[in-house]
Amino acid sequence: MMGTSLFHGEPNGPSLTVLAACYEVGAEAEMIAIDLAAGERHAVPPRRREVEMSIEGEGPVLVVEGEPMADSVFLAQYLDEAHGGSLQPAEPYARWEMEMWCRFVIERVAPAASLLGARAHLTPKLQAMDDVAFEQLVAAIGSADLAERWRTIREGAFPEAQIEDSRGKIRLAVERLENRIDGDWILGDFTIADLETYAWLAGMVALVPEAFENAPRTRAWLDRMAGRESIRRAVAQSRTGDPLSAWAPGPEINRWG
Amino acid sequence: MSDEVTLFHWEPNANSGKPMLALAEKGVPFESRYVDMLNFDQHKPDYLAINPQGTIPAMLHGGRVLTESTAIMEYVDAAFDGPALMPPDPKDRWRVRWWMKFMDQWLAPSFSMIGWSIFVGPAVRRRDPQELEAAIERIPLPERRTAWRKAIYNQFSEAELAESQRRVAIGIGLLEEALSKRAWLACDRYTLADVNGFNLAYALPLSQPHLSNEEKTPHILEWLRRIYERPATRQTWALGRTEMVKRVKILEREPQ
Repeated sequence: MMGTSLFHGEPNGPSLTVLAACYEVGAEAEMIAIDLAAGERHAVPPRRREVEMSIEGEGPVLVVEGEPMADSVFLAQYLDEAHGGSLQPAEPYARWEMEMWCRFVIERVAPAASLLGARAHLTPKLQAMDDVAFEQLVAAIGSADLAERWRTIREGAFPEAQIEDSRGKIRLAVERLENRIDGDWILGDFTIADLETYAWLAGMVALVPEAFENAPRTRAWLDRMAGRESIRRAVAQSRTGDPLSAWAPGPEINRWG
Repeated sequence: MSDEVTLFHWEPNANSGKPMLALAEKGVPFESRYVDMLNFDQHKPDYLAINPQGTIPAMLHGGRVLTESTAIMEYVDAAFDGPALMPPDPKDRWRVRWWMKFMDQWLAPSFSMIGWSIFVGPAVRRRDPQELEAAIERIPLPERRTAWRKAIYNQFSEAELAESQRRVAIGIGLLEEALSKRAWLACDRYTLADVNGFNLAYALPLSQPHLSNEEKTPHILEWLRRIYERPATRQTWALGRTEMVKRVKILEREPQ
């Protein structure tokens, strides 16, 4: 198979990052919508270890000349570099700052947001599934720890301390954002950091509203992001009309506590 | 602004070894500042003034402080002349990043949980309990505080260690599979993924002999030996001060 195809979920979380990155850099890709919350990532796109074992959990799959690739920030970097885009600073220190910001989002914000999002929106869906259908879904998953996250979400018995810890991470993210936004965008120029941060935080406004209460700069940035053409085009790919309620199991919470 | 590089590091091993080896490969001279992790130097005021997070390594360059080993390596590759450690092809670059994240976030924490339970914990447990408790309280990051407490008091549960061992076995399988397809981990040239991987895996045949040996993982062993033969690797491992890094000697080839 030649050319580029993007198997994406609803435009929220990692799928939103990569859809918008495609539009930002003008990548010609065939857009193929799949239902990540129904486990279709394990059935529809071509399989590959790097997709199966992706730390991100249920994210989009970009297939370039037959090679399936995963992990939203790295896919955005790939798209930017393959199409001569300008979504990454060229100066090494500014680049390091972008990498560090994205790591903070990937390692701290994304696991918290996906726990809260899945708890609110995916747990009821999975509980409504019959056991046979659910076991079929989980049996297709190559990574045992990702399969375990699906089971945990279906059970829905999240410890109160873990929920509060996740809400705390969202509050911390907004606090850091509020201090960091430099002009219109997080790091001055528009970068992948804006895409990845927006992709995980947009759905948190409804779930952790207190985090955004005293954050005027963050709220104005959210509005600017929502109005950006690449985000509007990505959101227009939604099949449900409510992408911010679409969640699939994401990255795991750090095992070291 | 100073163009000189100062690197605060522990042994050439895991996170500290990554920027040490990357700098050596690029041919960038640096002032080496050894931070004794087992003496908790990284949580003392002098070091916290450099890196308030209390994590090692940290690098000073041009009046700025850089932290996080993998991000420092990418900075080193971009900021200095010398052989490129990121490949030019965008897909190869994606594979370098994928492997580094897989190792940093999934495989290395499992390796280090095992390493901490059998090495770091016992090494520091002999100290005065009050002094230890005070040392833990000085750790700025809560997750690091939890990790040190677990290592020092041997609080890793059987289930946690079993899960780490499961991941180590899978990770070794993935490394062997990738290295049987390509000369280097991410593509057909030596990259930051190999620098990262060597720091994680150089002692593998000693620490996991039943999973990594001549029969089961010939490609991993050949890869480690080829990296060990590089002058930059020799130079970097010579900076080690403890017995631990001498494990690298198992990668010496037998005289024919």
